[in-house]
Amino acid sequence: MAETYTFTAKDLKEIEKITAKYPDKLSAVLPALWYAQDKFGHSDPSVQQLVAKTLGVPEAHIRGVVSFYTQFYEKPMGRNVLDVCTCLSCQVSGGYDMLHYIEEKLGIKAGETTPDGEFSVQSVECLGACGYAPMLQVTNDKFVNHLTREKVDKLIEDLRAGKKPDFESNPMPQHEKGS
Amino acid sequence: MSNDWKSYKPMLVPAIRDLHDISVYEKNNGYQALKKILKDRKTWTPANVVNEVKTANIRGRGGAGFNAGLKWSFMPEPDGKPRYLACNGDESEPGTFKDRKLFEFNPHLFIEGAIIAAYAMQIDVIYVYIRGEYRPFIQKLQKAIDQACEKGYLGKKILGSDFSVEMYTHMGAGAYICGEESSLMESLEGKRGYPRVKPPFPAQRGLWGRPTTINNIETLANVPLVMQHGAEWYLDIGPKTHPGPVLYGISGHVNRPGVYEYPAGMDIMTLINEVAGGVRGGKKLKALIPGGSSTPPLRADMLDGVTMDSESLREAGSMMGTAGMVVLDEDTDMVDLIWRISYFYDHESCGQCTPCREGTGWLEKTLRKIKDGNGEMRDLDLLLAICHRMEGRTICALADAAAWPVRYSIDRFREEFEKKCKKTVYAVA
Amino acid sequence: MPEIYIDNKRYEFEKPGKVLQFMLDKGLDLPFFCYHPSLSIPANCRQCVVKAGMPVFDREKKVFEIDDEGNRVIRYFPKLMTACSLDLADGLVIHTHETDELVKEAQADNLEFILINHPLDCPICDQAGECPLQILTYKYGPEGSRFEHKKVHKPKAIQLGPRVILDAERCINCTRCVRFTDEISKTYQLTIISRGDKNYPTTANGREFDDPYSLNTVDICPVGALTSADFRFKARVWEMNQTPSVDITNGKGCSTWLWTRDNLVLRVTPRFNEAVNDHWMPDAGRLAYRKFNENRISRPHLRPDDAGQVRTSWNNAQLTLQEELEKVTADEILVIGSPHASVEDNYALRTYFGNLGVSRFRFLPHTEPGTGDGFLISDDQAPNTNGVKGLGFDEIDEKSLIKLIETGKPKIIAILDDDLLGRTALTEEHLASSWMIVWGTNHNDTTRAANLVVPVTTAAEHAASYVNVDGRIQRTVPAKETLYTNRRLNLEMSMGRLDHYGTKFDNWVSDANRIDCIPAWEFFTRMKSDSDTIAWESSRQIMEDIAGTFPVFREVSYDRMDEENGIQLKLEQDSEVKPA
Repeated sequence: MAETYTFTAKDLKEIEKITAKYPDKLSAVLPALWYAQDKFGHSDPSVQQLVAKTLGVPEAHIRGVVSFYTQFYEKPMGRNVLDVCTCLSCQVSGGYDMLHYIEEKLGIKAGETTPDGEFSVQSVECLGACGYAPMLQVTNDKFVNHLTREKVDKLIEDLRAGKKPDFESNPMPQHEKGS
Repeated sequence: MSNDWKSYKPMLVPAIRDLHDISVYEKNNGYQALKKILKDRKTWTPANVVNEVKTANIRGRGGAGFNAGLKWSFMPEPDGKPRYLACNGDESEPGTFKDRKLFEFNPHLFIEGAIIAAYAMQIDVIYVYIRGEYRPFIQKLQKAIDQACEKGYLGKKILGSDFSVEMYTHMGAGAYICGEESSLMESLEGKRGYPRVKPPFPAQRGLWGRPTTINNIETLANVPLVMQHGAEWYLDIGPKTHPGPVLYGISGHVNRPGVYEYPAGMDIMTLINEVAGGVRGGKKLKALIPGGSSTPPLRADMLDGVTMDSESLREAGSMMGTAGMVVLDEDTDMVDLIWRISYFYDHESCGQCTPCREGTGWLEKTLRKIKDGNGEMRDLDLLLAICHRMEGRTICALADAAAWPVRYSIDRFREEFEKKCKKTVYAVA
Repeated sequence: MPEIYIDNKRYEFEKPGKVLQFMLDKGLDLPFFCYHPSLSIPANCRQCVVKAGMPVFDREKKVFEIDDEGNRVIRYFPKLMTACSLDLADGLVIHTHETDELVKEAQADNLEFILINHPLDCPICDQAGECPLQILTYKYGPEGSRFEHKKVHKPKAIQLGPRVILDAERCINCTRCVRFTDEISKTYQLTIISRGDKNYPTTANGREFDDPYSLNTVDICPVGALTSADFRFKARVWEMNQTPSVDITNGKGCSTWLWTRDNLVLRVTPRFNEAVNDHWMPDAGRLAYRKFNENRISRPHLRPDDAGQVRTSWNNAQLTLQEELEKVTADEILVIGSPHASVEDNYALRTYFGNLGVSRFRFLPHTEPGTGDGFLISDDQAPNTNGVKGLGFDEIDEKSLIKLIETGKPKIIAILDDDLLGRTALTEEHLASSWMIVWGTNHNDTTRAANLVVPVTTAAEHAASYVNVDGRIQRTVPAKETLYTNRRLNLEMSMGRLDHYGTKFDNWVSDANRIDCIPAWEFFTRMKSDSDTIAWESSRQIMEDIAGTFPVFREVSYDRMDEENGIQLKLEQDSEVKPA
């Protein structure tokens, strides 16, 4: 944790652009944290400090915010974070089976990171893909829907190879019918 | 309800290829409602637009079902200082996945609606708050906003008029509570998402202390339809008490889950059996959660003739919510299901108010005990007592949302709960 | 006048406000935790819920609707309302636990909720005895708990900062501490972290809670979540007496409580005074208790030769001073008053030496520019600069003082409680040719250099007045006994627990820790004098003298100071009216 993080001049310019969208700097806390997390991979205390300093917002406030929102990582995570939804529609459609399969496959429990730092797995609340359950989200980004064991195998293989999933479009079934 | 629905042509998300692109949207009557208003400002004064929307009785699609135009009319007269529109795309209620369809397939309809709303309430900045988990969809919306800016629908002096409005997206970061409008404002202001004490209401004191209106994404997407075709036309779609097209998100044990657009007031059994292709695997229907996890589950035998609109669902003993319907088949373990819902609310309680902070955890722990086979009969009474103590005692409605599914499930599926409970034997005094 | 009905009783109100504060002002009881009159209102504890309703107004007839029995028709809010956030409104009807079963139930329910994750470790908790949660649970709580699960575990005994310790499990998330640092001290050092029942307050990672006002969060914490690192485990609240006093560590003069047991002051806490410090005081002022207890001068000290000081009798001390005075003329005496001593003591000093014909009365203000914060910490390090100034002592700066001593070579220098050697460049060499008498409370460089040291009482032991930087005069009440005072005989002394709790059961009975000292003014009354102007029997009497002599102090009396929590003086630029 001795690592120190800095923003480049370009970063600062981007953050200034973000800040300009709001009447005060405090309001830029969420987008600025997102910016920092995208850059550094997490929002650990030193990243929090950097964001606080950059925006001129109290450090304690930043800690309060980071710990409130589940998508901000308070500590470094694996290179790929698999957020497996186990809530309601996913629960009744095999979300837990998928979670357990992934846990077994990676040899870790939800909330843990593989020793090689490649994967973290989390059991998460509804991600808003209820019609496409079971599903997971990869590192706060793309959704992988209609999970099966085969699809999970392929996903993990791809991620190991550095290939991120593509955006899956789920059109309205009504349109497909052509009626 | 007749078979009219079969001939219904979607309007919120019509079947048009590449509609997300502004040129396609424009070719299909896009931004016509806005143009119509800005061309004839004498007829379409802000007050008249508010009235038209009020007459159309667009019931808020975010869950509360409040008349959107009426909400707009609460905004005070402009005083020259900033006023805000916050568009609620937090969409975090389990079972709900509809607004993302608008972001992906028809973002300009929403953008146009938001611009009209801003015009009607004389607002100069629009923030679109979208849950952080929807990053790919935010990117899609952002693209559409950029296009709208380029074409002069957003920004300074829109379409050559003296009306200007900016639109910014604001990405959440994983907190269900931020879908609650005052919590959403706190989150937009860069704080922990703690709901605010009301009064003051957002129209009096909202974002940064200024008058603010918060509308759901789908709600705003209905606005251009109303303004283009008129309130009378809109009122003819579905029941008058809850008119207009609705994005039904159907998930769970059905053959064809997904988001469907039909008029409000659709017959529930039609939606399950015909629209969504019936219960999966030929199983029997056990229950339905009609509008997201907080709406009380209805037993299959309670669904006869019930339609998806506020009034009918209220009579049946539930709520319209977000129209995110979760279909549950005969094999569903209701105790397990309700425990998981409780777990969700426990996880998402912001922790501000005592009854919710402590009550959601107590519900979850007690349900877990029952689920794990360690429950006792008296735990069921205790659960009901905890629900009673949580309801109506907190700043926002999360406590109620957490209590309702528990209370009504025990009421409606009591046998299942009892089966999992040990029979308590009391010593005879 | 607009009216409000609380439990079927009618009250009138003048100013807009909130229902809870109105009830508190009227002496009505309603349980609450998160509300604090000086902080914003989050309404998060949900403890002060009431049933509230408004009369139905017929807009056409412009009258209130009346039911068959002739009463106003009341439309109640569908939910119980929190009284803390509910605005007073004309005609508002409130039902509390006194008249409404649902409210009574809701209050008990809420306490049951609060207690499910609370450790219930009152026997080992410092807050016990003065804990709102404990008190309100006795009054309004349920009889037991139906919670049968493991409680949520959180960090315990965390040193949040140098002076504050956190037990997160006891926290009930009222957010008073966070609001304090956000709204009052403005250091923004605290936040609530996490969510739901895992919430608790803390600082930013790796940061200390070193806010100069941090201990106020301990005062306002309604449970034992935040406790004072210094006071922790020292005493139970019910073993201590509580005496109103004034902070003597800086010029602001915050109103305080002194908490004593066995003649030791164990802690200092702020006492509400709207005109000075509201509910707050700086952490530094709380350390003053050490000055009251430690390093005290007990019994007069005399330096017969260069070998060093020895203890001597009071009689000998008086005779020695008498002898020295007889050796010199009045203009060979330099009298230095003190901004650290009370108005009464400075006045007595001045009167005594004035009677001897002395005309050189000086004092050296004790300020450290830049240390003030515009809030409750002043540049002025002394509690009574304006007081000594108002009594006609001439202000002198450090350089001039040293020059005066170097060139004037006064034969006798009389210093009232002020460590001039410790805080200025004045050295023993400057004083080599003078005989020095010091009236002092604690051993310091100045008392050690003195030829005669007279031990005098501290603010914790005497009734005396101090004028703060803003010109407000406030007084202390004796909180601990000296060798010569007795609480049962001295009516100026605080009756401690009898005053506060109406109980005679009192642990403040020990004779330990009593200091052999007297108020400085009393020393002068013991000196042989031709004048009857110093025949005072109490400091109260001295204040009567002062009020009759100095226009600035006109109309000042102990009774008025007690009633009005201090009196604002009109300090004019040149108010130095010499005594007649």
